[in-house]
Amino acid sequence: MIRSFLSSMIRLVVTVVGVVTVTFFLMRAIPGDPALYMLGDYATADAVASLQAKLGLDRPILHQYGLFLKQTLTGDLGSSVVTGQPALDEIVSNLPWSISLAVLGMAIAIVIGVPLGITSARYQGTWLDRAVMVTALLGISFPVFWIGLVAILGFSHWAGLFPTLGAGNGEFWNELYHLILPATVLGISVAAYIARLTRSAMLEVLGQDYVRVARAMGISEGRIFYKLALRNALVPILAVISVTFAWSLGNAILIEVVFSRPGLGSTIMKAVLSRDYQLVQAGLLVLATAVVTINTLFNFLYGIIDPRLQKR
Amino acid sequence: MANDNSHDKPSSIGRRRAIQALSATGMLSALPGWFNFANAQTPSKRLTIRIGADISILDPARIFQIENQSVAANVYNGLVKYDQATNEIVPDLAESWDISDDAKVYTFKLRKGVQWHKGHGAFTSDDVKFSYDRVLNPDTGSAHRGQVAGIIDSVETPDESTVRFVLSGTNAEFLHKVTAFNHGWIVSRKAVTEMGDKYNLNPIGTGPFVFEQWISGSEVRLSANPDYFEGAPKTAELLFRLIRDETAAAIALERKEIDIFFAMQQPEVIERLRKTAGVTVLDREASSTVNLVINTTLKPFDDIRVRRAIAHAINRPALVKGFFRDTKYEARTVLTGAFPEYSEDVPDYPYDPELAMSLLKEAGVKNLRFEITTPGLNPYDKFVVPVANDLNQVGIQATIRVLERGAYQQARSAGNVQSCITSVVGPPDPSAPLVTLYARQSFPPGLNSARYEGVEDLLQSVSGELDADKRRAIYAEIQRKTMEDLPVLPLYADRLFMAHTDAVHGLVQNSMFTVQGYSVSAQGA
Repeated sequence: MIRSFLSSMIRLVVTVVGVVTVTFFLMRAIPGDPALYMLGDYATADAVASLQAKLGLDRPILHQYGLFLKQTLTGDLGSSVVTGQPALDEIVSNLPWSISLAVLGMAIAIVIGVPLGITSARYQGTWLDRAVMVTALLGISFPVFWIGLVAILGFSHWAGLFPTLGAGNGEFWNELYHLILPATVLGISVAAYIARLTRSAMLEVLGQDYVRVARAMGISEGRIFYKLALRNALVPILAVISVTFAWSLGNAILIEVVFSRPGLGSTIMKAVLSRDYQLVQAGLLVLATAVVTINTLFNFLYGIIDPRLQKR
Repeated sequence: MANDNSHDKPSSIGRRRAIQALSATGMLSALPGWFNFANAQTPSKRLTIRIGADISILDPARIFQIENQSVAANVYNGLVKYDQATNEIVPDLAESWDISDDAKVYTFKLRKGVQWHKGHGAFTSDDVKFSYDRVLNPDTGSAHRGQVAGIIDSVETPDESTVRFVLSGTNAEFLHKVTAFNHGWIVSRKAVTEMGDKYNLNPIGTGPFVFEQWISGSEVRLSANPDYFEGAPKTAELLFRLIRDETAAAIALERKEIDIFFAMQQPEVIERLRKTAGVTVLDREASSTVNLVINTTLKPFDDIRVRRAIAHAINRPALVKGFFRDTKYEARTVLTGAFPEYSEDVPDYPYDPELAMSLLKEAGVKNLRFEITTPGLNPYDKFVVPVANDLNQVGIQATIRVLERGAYQQARSAGNVQSCITSVVGPPDPSAPLVTLYARQSFPPGLNSARYEGVEDLLQSVSGELDADKRRAIYAEIQRKTMEDLPVLPLYADRLFMAHTDAVHGLVQNSMFTVQGYSVSAQGA
C-alpha cells in the first residue's frame, strides 16, 4: 500500500514537471510576446526592449527555465506578466468554480450515462438499444458549445427557467441555480460517451465463458446480469469515468465561455491569448495535478472493487 | 544570478499557497465561493454593464484595451476631459488654465478639497507631477510615453493647487495630451508608492466611482463615491460583467440581467436588438478607422500606381453596405468625421476595376502576389475575404494570412509584412492617429508598417502653429498628401454600438469607446 502510494506520488511529480516543462517551452515557441501584447499600438523599439528587460524576457531561454524551475520548487509560481498579481492566487481563486462545475457535471453524466449504457446492453439489438445509441451518438457529435447555446436559447430565453450567464451572487442556492444548466450541458455531453462505453463493457463481459457457464447452470438472467456482469464491468466503467473526468475539464472551458462563468478554463484561455506565461504555467500545473490526482484516486478505487488488481 | 535574493524571499508564502492549491484540488468538496461571502447587498440602483473581455491593467501608465479604459474612466479624472457629447475640452481636476503666448507654458489651477478614494488623502499638484514624471520615466515601461516624451520638458508645482507644464517647444495642442484618457488619468503618489505591483488592479482615483472588487473571469464592482466633487453619482453601484459571446449578451439584455450592452460588433446582433421592444440601440461615429497598410519599401508596392490600383480595385462602398450592413461608415481619410479637423478635400479612389487594371499595366506589373496579414478577430478575419476577392478580379493574386492576435502583433512588429489590417483607436486628438500611422517614430514595432515618411515636416510643424485656422489647413494638407501617396488605405470608419434597456436613463455615448456611468440612473434591479 505504502509502496503503491509512493509510486503514485513519483508519477505525480514526473507528470507535473513534464507538463510544466512542455508548457514553458511551448508558450515561448509560439509567436508573440507579452511585451508586444501590452504595448500594443504604441510599441516602439525602446519601449519593447525595456519592458522585456523588466519582465526578464531578455535573458537566454534556458536561464529563464532554470530560474522558473527553482522558483516552482520553492512553491513560487511567479506573478502574472500582465496584471502583476501572484499567478497562483488567480488560479486558486478560480478553482472552486471549475471544480463545482466539473463535479456536478460528472455526477449528472454518471447518473444518466451508466444506467443508459446498462439498459442498452440488457436490451441489445432492440429498438430501445438503438434509440439510446443514436441519442448518445448525437450527444457526442454535437459540440458542447452548440448544445450550450441551444440550452440558453431554449431554457433561459424561451422558457425563462434559468439565468443565461454568470455564476451567481455568492449564496449557495443562487449559485446552484446558476450551475444547473451549464452542469447539465456538460453532463449530457459526457453522459453520451459514458453510455456507449458502459454498453460495450457490459457486452464484452456478457460474452465471457463464465457467463455462458452460469447460463448453462440455469442461473436467472437478471442475476447473471446484475451480479456477475455488472460487477465485472465496473472496472472498465470506472476507467472510462476517470478518463472522461479529465476530458470534461476540457469541455468545461467551452462551457465557461458560453455561459460566461468564471473558472480555470477561461482564465487559462485568456492567459494564452495575452501570452501571460506565468499564469498559463500556474494554471496547467494545477490542472495537471488535478488530473493525475483524480486518476490516482481511481486507481485505488479499482483495487477496492477488484482485489486482483491490487497485486499487479 | 544577481536576482537570487528577491526570489528566495517570498518562498514561504509561495509554499503556503501551493499547499492551499493542492488541498483545494484534492478535496473536491471545497467550494469556498458558496460559503464565504454571504452577500446581503440590495440590488436596487445597480447598473450592470456587459464587457467582452476581462480587465487586466488599470494603471494609467500601462493601460490599454477598451475594457480596462471603461473601468478606469469611472475611477479616475484628468486635468481636463472631453465632453462626452461634443468632444470639446472642458475642466476636470483643473478648474481653469492659462496658456502662455508662445504656447510653451501651460499653467493649471486645480480644484481644492478633492480627496483620493479610500482615505488616501487630499489631491494636490504633487500628484499631477508624480503622474506625468512616472509616465516619462523609461523605467516605468509606459506604453504612452511616446505621447508626451519630447513634448514635456518639466512639470513644476509652484503651490499645492497649481501645476505648470513647461514644454520643450511651442505646442498649441497640448491640452489633448492632458485629457482624462490613458496617461492623462491622474494617480495618487501615496497609493502608487505604497501598493507597488498591487496597484495595477487596485486603482485609487478621484472619480465618481470607487474600485471595490475584481473577480477574475467574472466581474468588476465599483461603488458610488458620495463625496465626488461634481456631486454623488445617481447609481449606487457599477457592475461590469464579463460576457464574451455577443448572442449570449443580447439574450441577457433582453432578460434584463444586464442594463447596458457595451461594445456591440456583430451586425446580426445589432439588427436583432434594434427590433427588440424595451431596448434602445445607440450608435456614434468613432474616432477610429480600419485600414489596409501597405509596405511602401517593398517592390512593386513602392510604385504609387500599384498602390492606387489596389485602392481602385477594392469596392469599399459595397464592403460597408453589403458586408457590414451599414453598421460602419465609408472613410476618406484616417481621420473620421468625428474630428473637427476632418477634410474632404482629398484624392478619392472610387471603385473602378478597369482603371485598376490599366494602372497595373502602366506600372508593368504582372501576376502580382499580394498578401494581407490580419488578426484572427471578428470582423478583421472576415471582411478581408471580399477585399481579397475584389483584388483577384483585377488580376492581383491576393492571399489572406489570418494570425492569432499575438502572432499578428509579432509579424507586424517585425516590419516585413507586405500589407496588414490595422485599426487605430484613441481619443479625439487629431495628431494621435496621424502620428501613429504616418510618423517615422511609429516605424515597426509601431503601427507605421508602411514605413512612410512623406509628411514628417508637416507633422512636426502642426503642433507649433499657434493660429487655429492655419493649423487646420496643415491637417488638411496632411490628409491630402497622405491620401495622394496612399501608404494607408482607409477601408472604413468605425461606428460604435451600445444597447441599453428602458430602465437606463441619461447614458451618453462618447466617441472614445468607453462607457461612463456617472450621468446614468438605473431604475429597478
